[in-house]
Amino acid sequence: MDQISSAIDKCFSSLITDTDIKNVNDRKEEFNKFKNTGIPSNKYENWKYSSLIKDINNFSDLTISKKKPNVNLKKNLFDFSHDKIFLVDGILHDADINEKGLKISQYNNFKKIGNNNPLVCLNNAFACNGFELEVKENSKVKKPLVIYNYFTSQMPSTFINFQHKLVLNSNTELVVFINNIFQNNSKFFCNNVTNVELKDGAILKNYSTHENNKSSSLFNFYNVDLGYSSNFEYFNYINNTSSCRDEININLNGENAFASLANLQILDQKYNHESKWVINHNKENTKSSQFLKTALHDSSHSVFQGKIYVNSIAQKTDGYQLSRALLLSDLAKFTAKPELEIYADDVKCSHGSSSGSIDEDSLFYLRSRGIDEKDAKKMMIQGFLAEAVQKITDKNFQQLFLNKLALSNEY
Amino acid sequence: MIEIKNLKTSIEDKKILNGLNLKINKGEVHAIMGPNGSGKSTLSYALSGKEGYDVSGEILFKKKNLLDLNTEERAQSGMFLAFQYPIEIPGVFTNNFLRTSLNSIRKAKNQKELNAIDFLKLLKEKAKSLQINQEMLSRPLNVGFSGGEKKRNEILQMALIEPEFVIMDETDSGLDIDALKIVSNGVNALRNSDRSFLIITHYQRLLNYIKPDFVHVLSNGKIVESGDWKLALELENDGYGKYLN
Ligand SMILES: Nc1ncnc2c1ncn2[C@@H]1O[C@H](COP(=O)(O)OP(=O)(O)OP(=O)(O)O)[C@@H](O)[C@H]1O
Ligand SMILES: [Mg+2]
Repeated sequence: MDQISSAIDKCFSSLITDTDIKNVNDRKEEFNKFKNTGIPSNKYENWKYSSLIKDINNFSDLTISKKKPNVNLKKNLFDFSHDKIFLVDGILHDADINEKGLKISQYNNFKKIGNNNPLVCLNNAFACNGFELEVKENSKVKKPLVIYNYFTSQMPSTFINFQHKLVLNSNTELVVFINNIFQNNSKFFCNNVTNVELKDGAILKNYSTHENNKSSSLFNFYNVDLGYSSNFEYFNYINNTSSCRDEININLNGENAFASLANLQILDQKYNHESKWVINHNKENTKSSQFLKTALHDSSHSVFQGKIYVNSIAQKTDGYQLSRALLLSDLAKFTAKPELEIYADDVKCSHGSSSGSIDEDSLFYLRSRGIDEKDAKKMMIQGFLAEAVQKITDKNFQQLFLNKLALSNEY
Repeated sequence: MIEIKNLKTSIEDKKILNGLNLKINKGEVHAIMGPNGSGKSTLSYALSGKEGYDVSGEILFKKKNLLDLNTEERAQSGMFLAFQYPIEIPGVFTNNFLRTSLNSIRKAKNQKELNAIDFLKLLKEKAKSLQINQEMLSRPLNVGFSGGEKKRNEILQMALIEPEFVIMDETDSGLDIDALKIVSNGVNALRNSDRSFLIITHYQRLLNYIKPDFVHVLSNGKIVESGDWKLALELENDGYGKYLN
């Protein structure tokens, strides 16, 4: 605990002595807010099951650097037609944008995200990098935007903070695919905050992958504000990410707004993943769906904390939540903590959670059709996880993730 | 084809089959009838190698000791069970499953695996002859299928795999009058001098369509009576009273 605090202290002192740094006073204020709590402990209800904080506490040395590594950006490109943003170790490196209505810029103005989460305060204090993306009114962007987010093997820092901002103005549509590419196998701590603003009638489909991250500790925070009739669709494909907490805060502020969150997770070894989702229904006739499927091998651990909050004025709220885990080893563990906090009387909310091993009768059925036990198990795991992919409404991406899932299952 | 000698099975100390003997030659169709709970499904599971049973006795299948083989090996060597209660598996798509199943069996037999196009052609043809809707096959396996649709899907699998020995566990229950004819035609089309059937049923009606060579009565885990197809008629009239003690 003390080791990490002094490491963060050191980083902060060196950050604010940098002559380029802006908004030093605001940063100091945020840093003090962080220091009041420090790295949160498992004693706090919101962090009770967090393995990430245990991992962070193991850091004894953190460094931040502005050196720019060299990467071959052409290497991992998808072969479908798309616009591109390249991030390298948290820094906007390059972009190739041709679609009309899209505007991208460096995120170098200090904007603090109002939140009492100490790790968000920490991000506010440190973040100097990221991008800002705006979709102009009435622009329905046809091609998807792929964000190639590189964590390079030459990464000069072990402590990375970045902030992104996405603003979709009225009557816009955009599909974003965040492709995280982990080339770095050494330990680092990445704190990533994304702020999304959806104006009336805006539709954002936000898909992402987190794969083969062998040693870093990730904290991802999304804040999403939804206006009238806007739509946020989130799908995250997580496959063997050593340690990660994904936190999403959804504010349904306009009538007919809808948010759908879905996670597909495959974990092995001692890896851990935690999802903390909060959906705030602040207006009438708003709708939300939370769906999580996780397959746990070895001694992996997955935590799901999903909350549906319904304000007293948010009548006719429709909130849905389901989390299911497949335990593929005696040592694998799933912790689910659904929460409902409802102050309106005319609402429809449902939640469910289950965990269990592979169904023996189903396995017998498949094997009785000549399918080897190993293949039958693979089929069942894949089938179990594929249900999360069904939540994707973009047919091309649905297929992309189904293919990815089929390949991932080859062990 | 198959010879069962003194087969005993129990599960968690509950004895279900108590020394069952049965021999089925190549090309024969045998029917088994018997009261609820007499052990008919248990026999089908024991033959297919379902885990969880204590099994003793001997089963020779094509002159090999069946008890040495696991479930998939039995299927790969020609055994097929049409389930009384086909299992629903969400997320596993029916046509994918059918292709994986067929190709696993072909591979085990050193036959060439079918590519997607050839498979679809074959599937279309078989589905058509059983009047199965294509749309159904793009849905997850048995999920949301009606009772009768599930049973037809079992027979479709049989038609695709063309196994040498077929066990049908109450395939007729849940089928409407027309479907019963369609399914029976499907079975009769596969009947030949190299293929054998063991048909478990409660109703003599099915046996009008698929005429068995032998009918057996299973009671308390044993075969207590055997005869020809007329035995089924007799049971239809008299019930099982005289076989229960
Ligand atoms: N897993 C189990 N544990 C305990 N008892 C079992 C189990 N499986 C089957 N049995 C019992 O074994 C007996 C035989 O069951 P089985 O399903 O073989 O009967 P059946 O002849 O197929 O009946 P039906 O005509 O109703 O289908 C029944 O009394 C049943 O309750
Ligand atoms: Mg039965």
